[in-house]
Amino acid sequence: MVSRKSISGGLICLGLVASAADVSAHHSTAMFEWGKEKAIEGTVDKWEWTQPHTFLWIKVMDSSGVAQLYGLEGMSPSWLGRHGWSNHSFAAGDKVKVALYPLRDGRLGGFYLRVTRNGQTLEALPQQVP
Amino acid sequence: MLKATDDPWGNSVRIGTCLTAMAAFCAILAGSVIAAAEAAQVGLKVAAAGAASSDNPYADLGKLPDWSGLWEPLLFTTGAKTAPPAPPKLTPAYAKQYAAYQEKNRTTPGLNFVSNVANCIPAGLPGSMLQPYPIEFLFTPGRVTINIETYSVVRRIYTDGRSLPKDPDPSYQGTSVGSWDGDTLVIRTIGILPETVPITGIIGHSAQMRVTERVRLSPEDLLQITTTVEDPSVFTEPYTFTTRYRRHRDWTMMEYVCAQNNHDSVDEHGNPGFSLQRDGGKK
Repeated sequence: MVSRKSISGGLICLGLVASAADVSAHHSTAMFEWGKEKAIEGTVDKWEWTQPHTFLWIKVMDSSGVAQLYGLEGMSPSWLGRHGWSNHSFAAGDKVKVALYPLRDGRLGGFYLRVTRNGQTLEALPQQVP
Repeated sequence: MLKATDDPWGNSVRIGTCLTAMAAFCAILAGSVIAAAEAAQVGLKVAAAGAASSDNPYADLGKLPDWSGLWEPLLFTTGAKTAPPAPPKLTPAYAKQYAAYQEKNRTTPGLNFVSNVANCIPAGLPGSMLQPYPIEFLFTPGRVTINIETYSVVRRIYTDGRSLPKDPDPSYQGTSVGSWDGDTLVIRTIGILPETVPITGIIGHSAQMRVTERVRLSPEDLLQITTTVEDPSVFTEPYTFTTRYRRHRDWTMMEYVCAQNNHDSVDEHGNPGFSLQRDGGKK
């Protein structure tokens, strides 16, 4: 199990390097509540193995029993494909638990950090190297 | 401490402590006399390849260093020991822009990349070499080709002895020529579009910006690129930083079409946008 601290470490490093040379992420992360982890559970509606980001659409039942669609952006296939993920990591109908940083504006979306299915967890963000 | 050295433009370049420290680190890594002798031998072979003109120019390519495989930029991992670049020394106008960017990052949680890359406009040089996904080097007679996975960028470095043109058409990656200095490939680039990003936090530069890259393989099999960016309208002295890349012989390049499913954007003020429309808004 990778701690949140180690994830932060990797990102802090990215931040340091990004402080001058034009390193990059594809975009800002300011639209997300970066660092404020939230968990949701639901059913995969669609798994998009696409550039510049993967997208995981999941349906989550709200408190009144109505299914709400969440759109979750993640790292690109260029990263995930070299760290154990694939086009076939998920299929519509899979039951998943997702850790994410939610959108700051309250819409049903965010940036996913890890996804658990059938007791197996895939980590999405770069991890700290010992 | 600053160190003066010759540069391929024929000027004296002052390189900051970052490069000096990196050079010292590499000297330690190089370690033994044996390693130095081997490096010298490689240098002789490479120099011969650069100058040779045999009947079969492809035969000479075997004298060049082995840079095969894909090279992963060591940006994400703390174990990479990639040194943070030294702060740039900027002219007043650009220092103001850079300070505003730093302040925005201080007051707004999350990284604030304000350039057009969120709109799928690829980064220009030198930012294109600092993207998160791999690069590769291909050697053909008289040319080195650099493929950059992120945004599917191709750089063509002419090593056939030609000079840089006097008035190249501006482009994102500019116009490049290269030469071998021992086992180091020295790339000189001009003609980079003025609306591109010379360093994160600054957008725009003059048409006179030029970039020099020194690319070599370290004894620990890391590709090391020392980049110097010069533009008197932006920098009060040349800005130098070093990046390193880890080799993966078993990786293959992935396709990267940014417009495939892009939900991100940035407006003219640098504010990020995020669409929740399905299929990246295309359907």
